Amino acid sequence: MASEPRVVRGTQITAPEQDEEEIFLTSYAPRLSYVWDTGEAVGRYLAELKEGKLIARSCRRCARVMIPPRMFCEICFRPTDDWVYVGDSGTINTFSLCYVSWDVRRLKRPKIPAVIEIDGASPGMGILHLIGKVAPGKVHVGMRVKAVWKPASKRTASITDILYWAPLAHEGSQ
Amino acid sequence: MKRVEKWRGEIPVTSQYTAGVGGQKSWAALKRKGELLGTRCPSCAQVYLPARLFCERCFAELTEAVPVKPAGVVRSFTICYVDPDDRQLERPYALALVELDGATTLILHRVLDVDDAAQIAIGSRVEVVLKPPSERLGSILDIAGFRIIS
Repeated sequence: MASEPRVVRGTQITAPEQDEEEIFLTSYAPRLSYVWDTGEAVGRYLAELKEGKLIARSCRRCARVMIPPRMFCEICFRPTDDWVYVGDSGTINTFSLCYVSWDVRRLKRPKIPAVIEIDGASPGMGILHLIGKVAPGKVHVGMRVKAVWKPASKRTASITDILYWAPLAHEGSQ
Repeated sequence: MKRVEKWRGEIPVTSQYTAGVGGQKSWAALKRKGELLGTRCPSCAQVYLPARLFCERCFAELTEAVPVKPAGVVRSFTICYVDPDDRQLERPYALALVELDGATTLILHRVLDVDDAAQIAIGSRVEVVLKPPSERLGSILDIAGFRIIS
């Protein structure tokens, strides 16, 4: 593969300190306020989070317990059947040590996003959340973790009502 | 249990725009010298303000910088009663498209001290009011607005 940079037509500007002339820039930040419909399943899921509970949906045909819940089984092509409470503990399925924030600023302490398979849901059923109270080097696939919730009075029916997931005691939490 | 029906969110987007090669020349002249600098098309005699890199009518490259006078004539105007979010303004303000003397393009800006259509007309003469040098940043807002002179 050729590694020569592609030549782009136009007038390039460089970093401000390298420019002989001050380049005039106009900043603009549009206000983009959205309201999304949560849907049946996620609407209930969020309401239950406020109560400090995780809820899933089950399909009687394939016997799967799905979280986040959904009203339609994508394997059986039929509506799901029952609401099922599941545990607020689980197992790390995969994780990442993330040294940049969402807007690409460098982080000294990495964020540790992970997919957590939830106890009581079917194998492989997991949610994406954050791992906390553990040294980045100690995190591993298969690690047992438990949800750390916000105090009930501070919850807003959001996935952030769980602050993070901390290793269970025998996993050597700090 | 009553489900949550709506989820509210903001999408943070911040953009920075350059004025382009032509606009850069105009805003530099405005900021540093308080002058209006346009570009003249050698083949069709259009004079663009702010300056452009090429002629929109005949695609000729524009290299000839020409000064434009800080006064001109109102070609169109409107009185604004609501803000961009459609909220009623306490005090309306006027916007005008002005053909400055020496330019053939129109420039859009506020008309100072006008809040009623009876105070302005198509054909009104206006002058350009600049901000003081210390407040100029190199943008069209270095012009405070137009003021009616007749």
